[in-house]
Amino acid sequence: MNIWLAAAGCVSAALIPCADMCLRGTAERRLVGLEMTSLIVTISLVLFTIGFGRLPLMDLPLALALMSFGGGLVFARFLGKHL
Amino acid sequence: MSVLQVVLLGGVVLLCWLGVIGMWMMKEPMQALHYLSLPATAGAILLTIAVLTSQGLRQPFWKVLLIASILLASNSVVTHATGRAFRTKMLGHWEPLDGDPMEIAREEEKK
Repeated sequence: MNIWLAAAGCVSAALIPCADMCLRGTAERRLVGLEMTSLIVTISLVLFTIGFGRLPLMDLPLALALMSFGGGLVFARFLGKHL
Repeated sequence: MSVLQVVLLGGVVLLCWLGVIGMWMMKEPMQALHYLSLPATAGAILLTIAVLTSQGLRQPFWKVLLIASILLASNSVVTHATGRAFRTKMLGHWEPLDGDPMEIAREEEKK
């Protein structure tokens, strides 16, 4: 257990309020929760990658950061036009 | 493990939790949207500096720098698009019009 894994665990625990935002309330609140979740998971994956010393896996948070950008935009457009 | 890394990672954890708790406590989605910027901007910058102190100028640092740049750039775009979508859903349009509950500064009034 090193400081990176401890930080990763603390950041990952922040996913619990994010899950609450995503699972309850209006569609707008859920979308904000989804966007925060993608941010927190990206940061957690970076911390876990450094903590476990599996540096080639740094591509995972990189891909997630790119994909969540497109996903957030698509959900926002869908919410504004169709919901 | 250096003291600097502990401080930087503590800052990352603190900013992530501040953002999440702030978002969670807000009643209006438009207010909650503002708290996305805490982990996406300051959190990502602190994380990049922490990786730099740990790994040096090697490949992981450049990848984390790229991730932080994507988060910094995409956060503003996604937040704006989401806020616009909220307003479109609420009012049917996103442009400021007369009668909207907001102050509109017009060019001719500034002169």
